[in-house]
Amino acid sequence: MNIWTKAGSKVGFTTAYVAIMTFLLFPIVWMVMMALKGYDDVIAYPPKFAFSPTTENFRSVLFGDGGSMSSGAGEFMGYLGNSLIVSLGAVALSLVVGVPAAYALIRNRIGKEDTVAFTFLSFRFAPELMVIIPLYGIFQSMGLYDSYLGLILSHQLITIPLIIWIVRTFLQDVPVEIEEAAQIDGCGPLRTLVRIVLPVIRPGVASAAILAFIFSWNNLLMGLVLSGGTTQPVTVGILQAIGFDQVRWGWMAAAAVVSALPGMLVALYMQKHLVKGLTMGVGK
Amino acid sequence: MSPQQAVERTGQRAPAEPRKGFRRGPATRASTKRTYVLMLMPALLLVIGIMIPFLNGIWTSLTNKKSYINDPSFVGLENYIELFTDESFLRALGRTILYVVVVLAVQLPLAILAAILLARSSVGSWMARRVLVLPLLIPPIVAGLMWKTMLQPSAGVINYLLGLVGIPPQPWLTDISTSLGSVILIDTWAFLPFSTLIILAGLQSLPNEIKEASQVDGAGPWNVFRHISLPWIAPYVVLVAIFRVADSFKQFDLVWPVTRGGPIDSTRLLHVMGYEEVFRFSSTARGMAVIFVLWILVYTVSSYLLKVWRRTINAVG
Repeated sequence: MNIWTKAGSKVGFTTAYVAIMTFLLFPIVWMVMMALKGYDDVIAYPPKFAFSPTTENFRSVLFGDGGSMSSGAGEFMGYLGNSLIVSLGAVALSLVVGVPAAYALIRNRIGKEDTVAFTFLSFRFAPELMVIIPLYGIFQSMGLYDSYLGLILSHQLITIPLIIWIVRTFLQDVPVEIEEAAQIDGCGPLRTLVRIVLPVIRPGVASAAILAFIFSWNNLLMGLVLSGGTTQPVTVGILQAIGFDQVRWGWMAAAAVVSALPGMLVALYMQKHLVKGLTMGVGK
Repeated sequence: MSPQQAVERTGQRAPAEPRKGFRRGPATRASTKRTYVLMLMPALLLVIGIMIPFLNGIWTSLTNKKSYINDPSFVGLENYIELFTDESFLRALGRTILYVVVVLAVQLPLAILAAILLARSSVGSWMARRVLVLPLLIPPIVAGLMWKTMLQPSAGVINYLLGLVGIPPQPWLTDISTSLGSVILIDTWAFLPFSTLIILAGLQSLPNEIKEASQVDGAGPWNVFRHISLPWIAPYVVLVAIFRVADSFKQFDLVWPVTRGGPIDSTRLLHVMGYEEVFRFSSTARGMAVIFVLWILVYTVSSYLLKVWRRTINAVG
């Protein structure tokens, strides 16, 4: 099936797989190791591959009891909470708004469904600052700056295109006949969607929600511009805690590990959904 | 899920009898239409909610707004004329285009190659597929900082490891000649998995019969790849290109936390420049002009690629 087969070299393939996995895994492994190192081991040169692990950095990140090396007590937990509120809220709002919209777009054949769907998708491609910087001024005058509601609304820029786009491709596979049967029984579009269509496309909705959550969680710019002291998400928290010429690598590594944890857990349990969501909208 | 499965599943779930008290008989056309419109309303409100700041941003770029000026006045295209005669902007523009081109040139072939390797069935490729998704789940800012520590010129682990095999230490992010390349390296780590996953899905969707048939016809592995697999995955490759082009044009997360656009201005991409103009130099209007130019670039290139994408889909289907 490809040019390598002829060579038939098992060694070649094994080398390639090891190379790919090393490239992908080494930075993650190194970060976890650094997070488990004491201060002396972190700054040691040559870099240490064997060391006695300590939970000092994680304690400092989570409870702020790391002495001089910590940023304020428990602050990081606050960042985590903020990220959780904003990302969950953003995904929930996108589902409530996006799923019925995707359904109405597909089933109601007036107008160009394609064009509307592409308009939503184009938000995904736009430089975020084009919307966020004006929002900064608008939110300040509306009292939405540094509020959860403001952040949840602005995160729609990320989550709504994903939800509509992915759900839409799953909807295209639902045969109209099963819906027509329901409609003859007197179901309106909304009841047909909730009772008949949603159960069928549940895996699609799940992948869309997971992906939207991850992209929302990973976002930096929205928080950087639109959150102040009280709603800072974890990405901004890390950025501010390290300063620019940081040397607190251990703390940073531990914070990084903790902030990447939700995504990692998702990967462990829901990889199939995740990959499916990512590759949706490609096939026909 | 295939339509057949869908029918089977709903076959079990579909309500056999409409409940009493609900209206019987077909829903009227007019009320159905009204419900559809109602279902669309919230999303349309969101679109308006996005369009208002967007248009407001374009307007701002036509004024002399600074963060400390309360009533800015209209200046027409002045900001844009200034930008296109400003060498630092033109350099950032060229640098951004270079960034996008190199990212595509490096990542597309690598992603295709990786996908081909991972599409084989073996223990190695199975393990690599499990690992592949991980970088995708790490916030880009974390990926950036992670690599920054590893790439420290004097104390970093990468230079240490290179030293073990006799390669002299590199300055990586700290020198203007290698900094942009280093950011592209980090970009490749962070986004190659995404690209590979999509192309891999394309390869896996290629029906085996097609490949086998061409092999029976005597086509060698290269010819099968060139004439069967490659056209089949073309839409997937174009889709990857669309995402990578858009995301690289507006790259911010891998630059701001890592280099702040430096050293000097060697990694100052347009999105970073726009942010700096607004929040460091208080020139809101100028910053919006930079970002609107960036938006036009992204929009033009990605809508062209979307057209190519639809064409490749039609070609295959």
